[in-house]
Amino acid sequence: MTGNLYHNRKAQWAVYIAIFAALALLPFFADNPFTLNQFARYIILALTAVSVSLVWGYGGILSLGQGIAFGMGAYGMAATMQMQFQDPESDPIPTFMLTNELETLPTIWEPFWSTPIGLALAVGIPTLLFLFFGYMMFQARVAGVFVAIMTLAMLAAWYAVVYDMQPFTAGFNGISPPNYFEIFGTSIDPYSTTAYWICVGFLVVITLASKFILHTKFGLIVQSMRDDPERARFLGYSVAYYQTVLFTISGFIAACAGILWVMITQYVSPTSMEIVLSISMVIWAAVGGRTSLLGAIIGAFLINLGQSYAGDEFQTYWTIILGIVFLIVVLFLPKGLTGLFELIIGKFSRATNGTGTT
Amino acid sequence: MSIHDFWTPFSLFPFLNSLFIGISLASIFFIAALGLTIIYGTMGVINMAHGEFIMLGAYTTYVFQTFLGVPFLICLPIAFIALAVIGLVIERGIIRTLYQRPLDTLLATWGLSLILIQGIRIIFGGEPKYVGVPSWLDFQIEANFIHLSGVRLFIIIFAIVIGAATWFLMYKTTMGIRVRAVMQDKEMAASFGIDANKIYSITFAYGAGLAGVAGALFGALKTLFPDMGSGYIVEAFLVVVVGGIGLVGSMFSAGILGELSSIFSYFTNETFARFILFTLVVVFLRFRPQGLITDGTTRR
Repeated sequence: MTGNLYHNRKAQWAVYIAIFAALALLPFFADNPFTLNQFARYIILALTAVSVSLVWGYGGILSLGQGIAFGMGAYGMAATMQMQFQDPESDPIPTFMLTNELETLPTIWEPFWSTPIGLALAVGIPTLLFLFFGYMMFQARVAGVFVAIMTLAMLAAWYAVVYDMQPFTAGFNGISPPNYFEIFGTSIDPYSTTAYWICVGFLVVITLASKFILHTKFGLIVQSMRDDPERARFLGYSVAYYQTVLFTISGFIAACAGILWVMITQYVSPTSMEIVLSISMVIWAAVGGRTSLLGAIIGAFLINLGQSYAGDEFQTYWTIILGIVFLIVVLFLPKGLTGLFELIIGKFSRATNGTGTT
Repeated sequence: MSIHDFWTPFSLFPFLNSLFIGISLASIFFIAALGLTIIYGTMGVINMAHGEFIMLGAYTTYVFQTFLGVPFLICLPIAFIALAVIGLVIERGIIRTLYQRPLDTLLATWGLSLILIQGIRIIFGGEPKYVGVPSWLDFQIEANFIHLSGVRLFIIIFAIVIGAATWFLMYKTTMGIRVRAVMQDKEMAASFGIDANKIYSITFAYGAGLAGVAGALFGALKTLFPDMGSGYIVEAFLVVVVGGIGLVGSMFSAGILGELSSIFSYFTNETFARFILFTLVVVFLRFRPQGLITDGTTRR
C-alpha cells in the first residue's frame, strides 16, 4: 500500500460500507418517527446529489435541470398515490380537479389507476425525456456553460407548465395524496422504519451501482471525456453517445428520488421544479465533493441537517452562511470537503509510509 | 413586466397592440441582458448574480429616492455608479481567482446571489417596496391600437440610449478597442501592451453598472422585493445565448424573444408562452449553438 490512502480501493469500500451501515442502523438509535422521517428526506436529497455528482463531477456536464426529473418523478408518484385513493365507481375524480371544474378524468391521468403502470411512467417519462434532451444537446456538441443554460431554461419552462396547468397538476397548491403509498397489498407509513429502509436501500443500491459503472470501461471513457472531450473524440469515441447515456442515468436517479420524496412527504408542489432546488443539488455535490459519490451524499446530509437544526434566529442568516460556505468551497476547494479530506489523508499517509509516496 | 398590465381587449387591433407590447418587453430583456453579454463576451464569466445586481440597482434607487429625496432621473446615474463600484469589488475579490475555471464562476456568482438576496432581506425586510413614478412620466399615449404608458415609453427610449452609449464606448473609444481586442484574443492583446486584467475589471464594473441602471428603471415599473432578480436571469441568459456574443446579437435576440413572447401570450397565456419560448430556444441552440449573430468580437 503506497501513497495516499484516500485512493486505495479497499479503503474506499470500507468507508462506503461503514457509512451505509451507520445509515441502515439508525432506526435502532433514533426511535422518534419524526427524526426517522427527517433522515429519510436527507437520504432522498442525497440521492439527487449523487445524480449531480455522476453527471457533473464525473461527466463534466453541469446540469441545472435535475429538478425536471425529480419533479416529474414526484408528480408521477403523487398521481399514482392519488388514484390509489380514488374509487373508480363512486369517486373517480380527485377533489382539486372538481374545484377546477373538470368533469371527467383527464386522459393523461387514466394510466395512474394502475400502480405498476403509474410507477413505470413516473420513472420512465423523465428518463426518456433526459435521453431525448441529452441526445439533442450532445449531438449538437453543446458543452460547458451552454449545457447549464439550456438545462436551466428547460427547467424554467417545465416549472411554468406545471404551475400553469392548474386542472391537471393543482398548480401552486400541489397535490397531497390523502393516503399512504400502497404496494403489494401493504401501505407504507412514511414515518415507519420500513419506509426509511426503502430509502436507504435505494441510496445504497444506486450509489454502489454508480460506483460500479464508474469503474467499468464506460465509466473510464466518460471521465476521460470530462478531462478532454476533443482527445476522446479523436480516439474514436462517440462523445455524444457516452454523454447522453450518462445524462440519462442521472435523470433516472433523480426521478427515483422524486418518487421516494412523495412517498415520504405525501406532497408535491411546483417547488420541486424550482431553480433554487436544482441549484441546491449542485451546491450539495460541490460542497461535499463532486468527484466523490460519497462526498455528494455527505454534502447533502451536512447542508440539510444544518438547515433543519439551525435555530429560528439563526435561520435568517442560514442562507448567507450557505452562500459564504459555497463561495469558499468554489474558490478554494474545487473538490469539496472530500478534496480537503484527500489532502489531509495524503499528508498523513506520507508521514507514516515514509518512502511510500509516488 | 406582466403583459396583462396594459392589455386592452377592446382596442381596434389587439394583435398589432401585442406587437407593440413586444417592443417594450424586448427593451426590458435587452437592458437586463446587455451587461450580462458584455461580461460573458469579454471574460467568459457567466454572472448568475446579474439579476441581483439589477435588484441592488432598484434598491439603491429606492433608498436615494425615499430617504434622501433625490429625483428619479438623478437616481439612474447613482445606481450605475453604486453597482459599478460593487462590481469592481466583486471582480477583484471573487471573479479574479476563477478565470481559469469558467463553469465555477457560474457557481461562485450563484453563491454570491444567495448572500445578496438574504442580505437585502435582512436589511430591508421581505415586504415589497415601491419606487415612485416621477410625475412627468405619469401619462398614457392612446391612439387607435397603441396603448403605452409613459414609464414604458421611457424604458424603450432608455434602452435605445443605453445601447447607443455602449455601442459608442465599444466601437468609438480607445477603451472599447482594447476591450474588443481582449475579447478576441487575450494573450495577443496582452502582448501588445494591453493590461487585460484592468480591462476585465472595467468591463465587469461597466456590466454591473448597466444592471444597476436597469434595476433603477424596473423600480419605476414594478414593486421591489429581495428575490426579484431571479425573475430576470433566465430570460437574460436566453437573450445572450440566442443572440450570440455582442451588442447587435443581443439587440436582435431581445427583439425576437420579446416579440415571440407577446405573440405567444396573445394566443395562449403568459406562462404557456414561456414554455413555448424556452423550448424553441433549446431547439434553436441545438441547430445553432453559437447564436444568431456572431460579430467580429466573438470569443468562442
